[in-house]
Amino acid sequence: MLRAGPAPRILSVTQLALRVRDALESLGTVWVAGEISNLRAQPSGHLYFTLKDDQHQVPAVMFRASAQVLPFRPGDGMDVVVHARVSFYPARGVLQLYVETMEPRGLGALQLAFEQLKARLDAEGLFAATRKRPLPRFPRAVGIVTARQGAAIHDMRTVLAARWPSCRVVIRPVRVQGTGAARDVAAGIADLNRVGGLDIIIVGRGGGSLEDLWAFNEEVVARAIAASRVPVLSAVGHEVDFTIADFVADARAPTPSAAAALVVPDRREVMEGLARADAALRAALARRVRTLGERLQALRRGLGDPERRVTDLALRIDDLATRARRGLARQVAWDRRELTTLDARLARVGPAPGLRRATERLAATAERLRFALAVRVRHARGALEQEAARLDALSPLACLSRGYAIVRRGDDRGPVVSDAATLAPGDLVALVFARGKARGRIETTVAEEDV
Amino acid sequence: MADDVAPARRFEEALADLEGIVQRLEKGELGLEESLAAFERGIALVRSLSQRLADVERRVEVLLKTDAGKLVLRPADD
Repeated sequence: MLRAGPAPRILSVTQLALRVRDALESLGTVWVAGEISNLRAQPSGHLYFTLKDDQHQVPAVMFRASAQVLPFRPGDGMDVVVHARVSFYPARGVLQLYVETMEPRGLGALQLAFEQLKARLDAEGLFAATRKRPLPRFPRAVGIVTARQGAAIHDMRTVLAARWPSCRVVIRPVRVQGTGAARDVAAGIADLNRVGGLDIIIVGRGGGSLEDLWAFNEEVVARAIAASRVPVLSAVGHEVDFTIADFVADARAPTPSAAAALVVPDRREVMEGLARADAALRAALARRVRTLGERLQALRRGLGDPERRVTDLALRIDDLATRARRGLARQVAWDRRELTTLDARLARVGPAPGLRRATERLAATAERLRFALAVRVRHARGALEQEAARLDALSPLACLSRGYAIVRRGDDRGPVVSDAATLAPGDLVALVFARGKARGRIETTVAEEDV
Repeated sequence: MADDVAPARRFEEALADLEGIVQRLEKGELGLEESLAAFERGIALVRSLSQRLADVERRVEVLLKTDAGKLVLRPADD
């Protein structure tokens, strides 16, 4: 079947393969966009996959050195742009892309890495609410993992000193960005766990770009937070977005100063609370005493006063006695009324009215007679007394009181002597004075002319 | 009583005790002697906790790693 003419040049398979390889490699490196499929990660660290679009496909390999610096994990179905050398793999006779770098399409590489790590840790349960530990209300010692210099540490120290100055603060300075930052942060968390006595650890830094904050999105930091025996509060200074550290930590604060305010109470508020407790104690005790006093009063009333009971009984007896008396009086009055009625009836049916009138007249006349007699007697007695008074004024006895004496012959019943000539010496006479009497004998007498 | 308010005791435990005492007293379920005892204990707690709040500032330290990998604490400079 060979045609005549110059003999055709026949290539060996190897020669052909090498020519194809040379032709392909003359393309240099190219950017190719496509979808990853049939991805196989080898234990060696090399990645094998097929890059395809809706019509064609090419096999690709990414060696370990390039693959391990990818921030994200390539996966089947992922749209990527690769920077690759095109070559030919002679042993199997296939075209192959040797991929040097890879970028996800749509999302940036970092963003994709973030989403992937987040999904993986979430699936592991590291973000579970049940893992979150409560923050201590009154920490005695606070650990801080952050940059030694800068606003973050300054803000945190200021807030801690202002709100809760009696707490100890241990700072573990770390690099928070750049190469090795993530490992440093992770080591810092572990170191503070070794110090002991800490009640809470704050991990954070001030705000920055996504790249600046990247350390807090790395797995090693997430693992260190998850492994911490001391509760961790993340405080990466970005108000809006969350870092992986935020999801794993026991609590999250939007900024470092907010974190400091979150981990310690305000001393002034606590002092006010204590003052309130003090007042409440006093009020409660006073109330208790009052309540007990009232109960005591109530019980005393319930028990009753023995003296009071005696008085009550006495009053009751008096009352009964009064009622009894009143009852008796009523009975007597009743009886008397009854008697009067009977009397009146008797009178009506008794002696004739004429006789009664005569009797009454007789009685009235007798009364008048008695009255007239009494008047008369009173009158006579008055006259008698008048006469007696006059008689008394004439009585010689009245003279005696002025010093005169009455001389009687013999004893004091003898005749009154008014003439000395009737007497002779030796005669017995009685002298009567106003008060008392005397007896004597006459010695001599004198005639009237010589007196 | 001194044991109950020793500094070693956690502040929150002492505060929780105080809150409990206030609540029990306010409920009025204690007898007079118990009320008095609870009141005295409460007042002691208030004093001790206030004293602790008035305590001087605690130190700030920096945790550093030596070249040999040992951890050392040093006072922080402001």
